[in-house]
Amino acid sequence: MSIVEVQELCKQYDPPKGVLAVDGVSFHIDKGEIFSLLGPNGAGKSTTISMLSCLLRPSGGDALVDGHSVVTDSQAVKEAIGVVPQDIALYPDMSARENLLFWGKMYGLAGAELHARVDEVLELITLVDRQKDRVEKFSGGMKRRVNIGVALLHKPRVLYLDEPTVGIDPQSRRSILDGILALRDQGMTILYTTHYMAEAQELSDRIGIVDHGKMIAVGTNEELVRSVGEEAHVELSVDHYLEGMVERWADVPGVTKAMIDEERAVLLVQDANEVLPRLFEAAAAAGSRITEVNVTEPNLEMVFLHLTGRALRE
Amino acid sequence: MKRIWTLASKDFLETRRDRLALLFTVVMPLAFTAFFGLMFGGGSDRLPLAISSADHGAPATQLVSALARSGVVKTEMMTKDDAEKAVDDNKVAAALEIPAGFSAALAAGRPAELTLVSTAGSSGAQTVQTEVSALAGPLAAGERAAQAAVAVAGTPPGGDSGASAQDLKDAALLMARPLAAQSLAQPVATVRVVEAGTAAGQIPNGFVLSSPGMLVNFILFSLLTAGIALIQERRNFTLQRLMTTRVRRWELIAGKAVGMFALTFVQQIILIGAGQLLFGVDYLRDPAALLLMMVALSLFASTLGLLLAAVLSSEQAMIATTVIVSMSVAALSGAWFPLEITGPAFQFVGHLLPTAWILDGLRGIIVRGFGVADVLPAFGVALAWSAALFALAVWRFRLSD
Ligand SMILES: Nc1ncnc2c1ncn2[C@@H]1O[C@H](COP(=O)(O)OP(=O)(O)OP(=O)(O)O)[C@@H](O)[C@H]1O
Ligand SMILES: [Mg+2]
Repeated sequence: MSIVEVQELCKQYDPPKGVLAVDGVSFHIDKGEIFSLLGPNGAGKSTTISMLSCLLRPSGGDALVDGHSVVTDSQAVKEAIGVVPQDIALYPDMSARENLLFWGKMYGLAGAELHARVDEVLELITLVDRQKDRVEKFSGGMKRRVNIGVALLHKPRVLYLDEPTVGIDPQSRRSILDGILALRDQGMTILYTTHYMAEAQELSDRIGIVDHGKMIAVGTNEELVRSVGEEAHVELSVDHYLEGMVERWADVPGVTKAMIDEERAVLLVQDANEVLPRLFEAAAAAGSRITEVNVTEPNLEMVFLHLTGRALRE
Repeated sequence: MKRIWTLASKDFLETRRDRLALLFTVVMPLAFTAFFGLMFGGGSDRLPLAISSADHGAPATQLVSALARSGVVKTEMMTKDDAEKAVDDNKVAAALEIPAGFSAALAAGRPAELTLVSTAGSSGAQTVQTEVSALAGPLAAGERAAQAAVAVAGTPPGGDSGASAQDLKDAALLMARPLAAQSLAQPVATVRVVEAGTAAGQIPNGFVLSSPGMLVNFILFSLLTAGIALIQERRNFTLQRLMTTRVRRWELIAGKAVGMFALTFVQQIILIGAGQLLFGVDYLRDPAALLLMMVALSLFASTLGLLLAAVLSSEQAMIATTVIVSMSVAALSGAWFPLEITGPAFQFVGHLLPTAWILDGLRGIIVRGFGVADVLPAFGVALAWSAALFALAVWRFRLSD
């Protein structure tokens, strides 16, 4: 059962000449799943989140969140959602606890319930011992955690996370991703945006790939990879006779393309498991020694490349 | 309602933690009050006294020069009309009129009367009167002693005629002494106090000018901190984030307005308290009228700040605009120098601004004992301005750049 239903959502900034930041995007999110919007800078992810948060009025289309229209029933939508903006939207000269207390009140919490929820959230974002410190003194990862914590105070049914791991160290990123998975396991529905392919792949139940305001593909990771019939990349280095080897490998069954990229051979293969032994055999037969092998299974990066002709990250 | 309060108190807390804000809102205004106060002559309490004299006799001239040497008053010679006008305009504490025939009356031993014109209940005029009476007392002492002597001479001492010349002289002296003493003790010139106008006046010393002036100036200046805070909130997305919670737009704007109001109001309490206690400026003559002026000033400042923050998008623009706006509004309103010393055009322009009215109200409370009724027009002007500014601010209020 879908809890978010997006229908032909459009946003043009400064019409009539402005950017069409979101151009007829439709998707749905099922209750209790993590749905990711994956796309490069300027794809329209934040604009979509803003419309789903009732901050921006769509230029066209509509979205139902928890059964309420973002256009006509914004107050009901706001009751259902928690928003983690891309920016660290906190008061830097207030402590973590003061921030949480303030935002909790804004979400309508009060009294003992407010304090209990603030304690719980501090526990969740593992900042109990730093709760009295001002946010401006926090590291990037700690700020990100408070930024997320604020949106959890009122136990929203749907949580929007707009690139919550930008600019932080791998350890903090790990703890945030684990936290998000835990929230999903408790039944929260999550809309996640990122331009990190690996994050989308790891976290998401389903992924929507966006580019230039358009949804260019939607599905599970496997569905997406399969849909474009992408192949694995095999990169090989040999001790000598590279040009000759590439010619021979091109004739090996299962290899669809063989090229030279600088000092290595780059092959596109249908099934790396099947093809690799044949490549070694061919090398041995030619008297060449393979010094390095690198296999990249088909992934979303390749899907994006295939669909747009550009890499996800420039 | 509760959310508005939470929003406002959050802003208040943030500003309280801001060291720079403390400097701008409290330290600088007090320093400037002291500086301008001393520049305007804050230390000198010599009361200005206008003198018009229709008499050119020796006693009159004597009185004028005695007053000129006085440490209590600062004299200025004028025509009678000018002197009375100066009292009306509150430019002098009182006007002394020396009538024609003053010297002649003294010479003849007749009672002479001086007229002191001042506004009703003026404490400055009281001081002037005491000083004038004191200096007029010994006038024509020689003349009066001579009169006493003549009186004695006209009454030959009784007793036997065989008395020696020395005895006669002694007896005459014995009689003359009390007579002369009596004559000199009598107030030769009485000072009649005429009260003009209804307002009680006291001429401002330097701090009376500088304290309310700097109050207005720096209340306007503190828009800077509040305005920049709002711009930063728009920049770091907290304003937008607030709109994803249950807060409604009007609650957000109201919260900001209440926060700015509270901030400037507390600042006023501190500055007025310091004015009263440190600089001896008597704000508390009519607490109700004072409260009305404080509310008016905070209303104007907070709605102006809200509008500036609503229309400006960068900190730099906010700094430049606040400095220009607050400085020119303060100067035009008479916060730096009293509007009375400027021309009519300047005064007219100044009184288009509510702050000029508020300053008149504040100085009126301090100097003339204004009550609630006297400051109501100023309150009305400020209220009208604030309503217009608030409407504009609500209309132009943006959550993002
Ligand atoms: N307030 C605005 N006014 C005008 N154009 C805007 C505005 N905000 C975004 N845009 C434009 O809309 C397009 C989509 O921007 P958006 O921020 O939604 O992208 P994004 O996918 O979130 O990118 P990023 O990964 O960099 O956050 C961009 O071309 C951007 O320049
Ligand atoms: Mg974005």
